[in-house]
Amino acid sequence: MRTTMIDLKWIPRALGLGLLAFAIFGPLTNLVLWAVAEKWYFPHALPLQYGFSYWVSVFSPRGNATTSLTMSVIIACLTVIFSIGLAVPAGYALARLKLPFRGAILLVLLIPQAFPNLPVYVNIARLFYQIGLNGTVVGVVLVHVTHGLVYAVWIATAAFSAIDRELEEAARSMGASAFRTFRDVTLPIAAPGLLASAVFVFLESLDEFTGTYFVGAPDISTLPLLLYTAGSGGNYQIASITALILLVPSIAFMLVIERFLRADVLSKVGR
Amino acid sequence: MKTLAYSLIALGLTTSPLMAEELTVMTAGDQNMVDYINDYLGPLFEKQNPGVKVRAVGTGPGDAGSQKILERFDAQAGANVPTWDTDVAVVHEKFVGPMVEKHYLEKYRDKIESGKLVTRENAKMALGTNVDGYVMPMFNSQTALAYNPALVATPPKSYEELVAWAKEHPKQFGYNGIKGGASGVSFVMGWIYAFAGDGDKLQQGPFDAAEAEKWTPAFAKLKEFTTNATLTPGNAGTLDLLSRGEIAIGPVWVDMFYSWKATGKLPPDMKLVLPAPGMPGQPMHYTIPEKAAHKDLAEKFVNLATSPEVQAKGIVERFNWYPGIDAQHVQAKLDKATWDKLFTDIGPADLAKNGKAFPIAPYNKAILEAYERQVGN
Amino acid sequence: MPIPLLGLLLVTPALVIVLALFVVPLVSSITGAFAVDGKFGFANFHKAFELYSSDIVFTIVIISLSAVLIALLSIAIGGYLTLGSNPRAVAILRWLYRWPLFVPFIVVGQILRTFLAKNGLMNSMLMQLGILTPMQTTSFLDWRGIVIAFVWKQTPFVTLLLAGAMASLDRSMIESARNLGASRLRILIEIILPQVLPTLLVGLILSFVTMMSVLSVPLMINAQSPTMITASMAFRINAYGDYGVANALGVISLLTTSLVAWVYLRQTMREHR
Repeated sequence: MRTTMIDLKWIPRALGLGLLAFAIFGPLTNLVLWAVAEKWYFPHALPLQYGFSYWVSVFSPRGNATTSLTMSVIIACLTVIFSIGLAVPAGYALARLKLPFRGAILLVLLIPQAFPNLPVYVNIARLFYQIGLNGTVVGVVLVHVTHGLVYAVWIATAAFSAIDRELEEAARSMGASAFRTFRDVTLPIAAPGLLASAVFVFLESLDEFTGTYFVGAPDISTLPLLLYTAGSGGNYQIASITALILLVPSIAFMLVIERFLRADVLSKVGR
Repeated sequence: MKTLAYSLIALGLTTSPLMAEELTVMTAGDQNMVDYINDYLGPLFEKQNPGVKVRAVGTGPGDAGSQKILERFDAQAGANVPTWDTDVAVVHEKFVGPMVEKHYLEKYRDKIESGKLVTRENAKMALGTNVDGYVMPMFNSQTALAYNPALVATPPKSYEELVAWAKEHPKQFGYNGIKGGASGVSFVMGWIYAFAGDGDKLQQGPFDAAEAEKWTPAFAKLKEFTTNATLTPGNAGTLDLLSRGEIAIGPVWVDMFYSWKATGKLPPDMKLVLPAPGMPGQPMHYTIPEKAAHKDLAEKFVNLATSPEVQAKGIVERFNWYPGIDAQHVQAKLDKATWDKLFTDIGPADLAKNGKAFPIAPYNKAILEAYERQVGN
Repeated sequence: MPIPLLGLLLVTPALVIVLALFVVPLVSSITGAFAVDGKFGFANFHKAFELYSSDIVFTIVIISLSAVLIALLSIAIGGYLTLGSNPRAVAILRWLYRWPLFVPFIVVGQILRTFLAKNGLMNSMLMQLGILTPMQTTSFLDWRGIVIAFVWKQTPFVTLLLAGAMASLDRSMIESARNLGASRLRILIEIILPQVLPTLLVGLILSFVTMMSVLSVPLMINAQSPTMITASMAFRINAYGDYGVANALGVISLLTTSLVAWVYLRQTMREHR
């Protein structure tokens, strides 16, 4: 009797999970199929011919895939380090200290995401040409930081708000300086939340095209630069392969971060 | 963490500096443009010029790709940069006019050998702007209607026939409006040539704002026609829906059509037809910025790219594109079978008669905006 | 040092970056929106409303609808992750839901275009399974396609934040409610949801803002008019070289998102004080 009960309960569960799996893996299957399809057109439900000739061309010495991948990862890591470096003091202040214009400050950080940035990049590029930042890694990282900062600061603010004030007060009462308390008590507790924001900043940087083109190209080539022409032009094979390559660092980064991700920090995002 | 950061920065800085001689080619257009430079033209040029490396950057398909190159020049001009980071730019016809007017480009055609092989009108005027000497056409492209012979037994030979056909076969004609790329725009321009009279005036000017009133009935007709058509997402979207059998006929770029066939995304039996009174086509142009860092190399590069040999082997034989330089120079380098492949679906006579230019820039804008008001909204 | 000053000092580096590298370059875009032949005027806004009013409404409706769907789905997934009784099912779900997070928008557009088309992979898979007949297939490449793309890509992001918030709640209240015989749905709606609402709202605002500025999805999926503001902006620039109207559309988009964010921020400010 009991076993049949359990079996019955698996019916809605399996149905729900199955539907979700279809919704998520259906499109992803499409991606994988296109990556190995040599020929695929109607009325054939599946590719007519499979092969790796497009992989060969993506990874050919002139295809630039490997150097672009390295560059993408370097830029994404630098962006994360830099954003977190800015977000830690800002987040702490926004969470802990009495600040004038707190709402306005949070809002300003949102602007780079909120204004469709197509027309703005020409101005940014002009500025960067003037100060010699065009075509440099630093320039690209700065642009990515501008975009990722809203995730970093909003989530860091949450991470610091989640910490029990009593812990800090205890440390202070035992004679630790404000800075030491922050370094030895507050920061370690907030670290998992900061790392969560790192995931989003990393992904944001890894996907970015327009800014990288205006500020980085031709000297800096990242994977989205390779992907964009293929993707928007309908070269499904090249775009799918590049997207699959992009998945590798994203998932690797996620797995590393996962180990540090702590639930209670996520609960205070944006408060 | 700190050492990691330092080593990343160090790595980042060491990989970015320029190598001794790098020729940077920015190209708008599809992936096949980037591939053409990376797989064919670049290696050829490097072999002839040891020590030089050709670097291709794709800026995306369609007008958006060319616009990004123009904006890049705008930024460098605005910042007064002494040498620009682009040596050769491959852009659509529509964007060379503004580039010349803003004095961004080098007048180089007379300096290179292949310069005298181009006499076609569209290498001198670009949508009403005199660009003589500033550009070399890479190839000429043409829009046409692609159709699935299994679904369309007798393809419409004119816009009139197409309208009749579409009425009998609702939703079987598809085009991408005007926001999704130039193949849809081209279809609309052809529509105006067909139903609103003076195509020559639109293509040659002079601009007369009053002309716009004549288009109103044609747009009303187009609006009605469009309700019976399928709208597709972009140039690639039209081809995609054709390949899935969801539409039977639609306007496409001939060069894209062939490259989709070649990469196995279109059934091999798809065909093209160029309806009367014609649809526009346009060249892609090689341009060299006046402040390019490697001007001599850039001229050499364009000279190679527009030499009869490369136009024959690269443009015609490899991609089935119409050559940029005058046909007779290219035809001489090819056997008859290869040359005739260019005209499998659309014969030379049809092409000469029905291959039109886009309207001059002010008409172009006026027609698009009229479409937005009267059809799109 | 007085606390507000110290606080401002700590926020300054982040603010300087955003102000110098985005807001200052943005200023000329915003003034450009109000410039008509070198003079101040509203002609660009007139034109933006005249030609693109349906696009503006469409954008707001589509994104609000997507946000609602994202909210419902992430509550459902997060709720099951928190309250699910079968550890194996929970583990499968946890592994399953976040994959789309790693797929860039431009690829989302591309794979969904070939997936959702009338004769795309989705319909052909359903036909192979015998669920659909060829006559029943329809194409989703219109506003539904955009909503599907947004929900597909953004749900994992909101869920990730929301599930974390739910997991950190005090379990004792949930347990006691369950001991009193409350159904899991009721616990989710009456006990859990009110406590995680701020997190949900932040996730939704960040998603809202992201969706407002995506260009590739409407371009690659939606062929019909009206379309999203970003697509019209791109068209304005690429077809006409007209930055004035494009910037006006950008300002409208900025105002919309700021309004949404401001309503939320005001509410949390009250909480924060």
